[in-house]
Amino acid sequence: MRRRALALYTLLVLGALYAPILVMAAFSFNASPYFVWKGFTLDWYRAIGEDRNIRACLWNTLALSGVSTVVSTILGTVAALAARDAFRGRRLYATLVSLPVMVPDIVLAIALLLLFRAVGATLSLWTAAIAHVTFNLSYVAVVVSARLQGLDRTAELAAQDLGATPFAAFWKVTFPAILPGIVSGALLAFTLSFDDFVITYFTTGPDSTTLPVLIYSKVRFGGTAEMRALSTAMLVASLALIAGSLRLSRAPAAGGGR
Amino acid sequence: MRSARRFLGLLIPPTAWLVVFLLLPTAVVAAAAFHDEGWRTLLNADRWALLGRSFGIAAVSTALCLVVSYPVAWFIATCAPKWRGVLLFLVVFPFWTNLLVRTYALMFVLRPLGLLYTPAAGVIGLVHSFLPFMILPLYASIEKLPKRLLEASEDLGASPWRTLWKVTVPLTMPGIAAGCILVFIPAVGIFALPELLCGERLTLVGNLINILFKDNPRSPAGAALTLVLMLSTLALTWTYHRLRKTEGLV
Repeated sequence: MRRRALALYTLLVLGALYAPILVMAAFSFNASPYFVWKGFTLDWYRAIGEDRNIRACLWNTLALSGVSTVVSTILGTVAALAARDAFRGRRLYATLVSLPVMVPDIVLAIALLLLFRAVGATLSLWTAAIAHVTFNLSYVAVVVSARLQGLDRTAELAAQDLGATPFAAFWKVTFPAILPGIVSGALLAFTLSFDDFVITYFTTGPDSTTLPVLIYSKVRFGGTAEMRALSTAMLVASLALIAGSLRLSRAPAAGGGR
Repeated sequence: MRSARRFLGLLIPPTAWLVVFLLLPTAVVAAAAFHDEGWRTLLNADRWALLGRSFGIAAVSTALCLVVSYPVAWFIATCAPKWRGVLLFLVVFPFWTNLLVRTYALMFVLRPLGLLYTPAAGVIGLVHSFLPFMILPLYASIEKLPKRLLEASEDLGASPWRTLWKVTVPLTMPGIAAGCILVFIPAVGIFALPELLCGERLTLVGNLINILFKDNPRSPAGAALTLVLMLSTLALTWTYHRLRKTEGLV
């Protein structure tokens, strides 16, 4: 009996979680731009497909996420590997690496904005990419070091004893073992980068708007039928991305997040 | 010894990046806050009220999130394994989607309910947006909970409520603390969500920082607020880590 009540409650919470998304998706197919159902249409999707501005924003978003994913995956993996051995100041180092995750987005955004202003840098996709690498580096490092912690170090040391150079031992033994962690770190970085609004909003240039920043600027004034279609399309893209990452890592859904 | 030195070499690139793009910017914020006496603007009673409101709204949202999430996490953790994966996926999915898109979607439901552009919409929005951050750590710690302790408590005559308060909640405290930190920190600095859902009816510290920097790119008052926000969230995480160590919470 209590069990059934719990199940019902869980369903209700999940329903509340998804209802807004479903309502928005439904209205993105509405023939009328207003909130009265006038029949099914794909016009809004056609409109966003043809919109030059949206297409430019999509390319900006992809370029920004792509560059920051590559750089932060490398730096984050190196950051995790560096902390494998004990050394003086290791705790300080661990704090430094996790710092970007521990402060609200707006703090990091403003701090970098003020730095870029102080050195006279022009805001562009490049400054935004630097900001994205800074927070993504932490997330990648967390995911990769979780993978490293579950790893037996003896295999790599055995390879060294058998005559492999330290680099060869790492490359042939440890690297393949942590590769799934690196891949899920990279996917997390890409997703966070693709979805980021706050940090991009403050650190990107006026000519290099991304999709989330575009959505914000339109939705502030109530939003349009195109924005409903664009938002729904972004949700579907996220779903495809997770499906891909699940297949790649073959890990349960919960492993992907934090 | 040789391999130790090799690994210390690995420290250089990430440390250098974080020194230049994290510590240096923080120093710039601090310098800006103390330049032109930006910190003096903090002495204003309005600023304190605003900071208090931001922390209050974040705290209320975190508490509501905890209350709403606990039964859900409990149900998922005690489910048959084949259902667990599906339910977890449904809970985690929003985490992978855009927060702004979810906020926008929420407007479609809050408007007909007459809640859009009210302060309550902000709290509803925060709870709705950060629910996955709370459910996941709760689930992880409930799943690890040895069920025989609950049976023992029941066998020894404790009521379900007493078992909940004396056994379940203390043992899942690490999950509760982690969930609260994960929800509170983004909630306290949020700025787009209250702007979209509450309009002018709810201004939080994030909104004010945004407005100040839009008006004046070198706003000392904005820098001072940013610094306060940074230091207070860091103090919170620091306390959390201290508690975790000293009380032996996992």
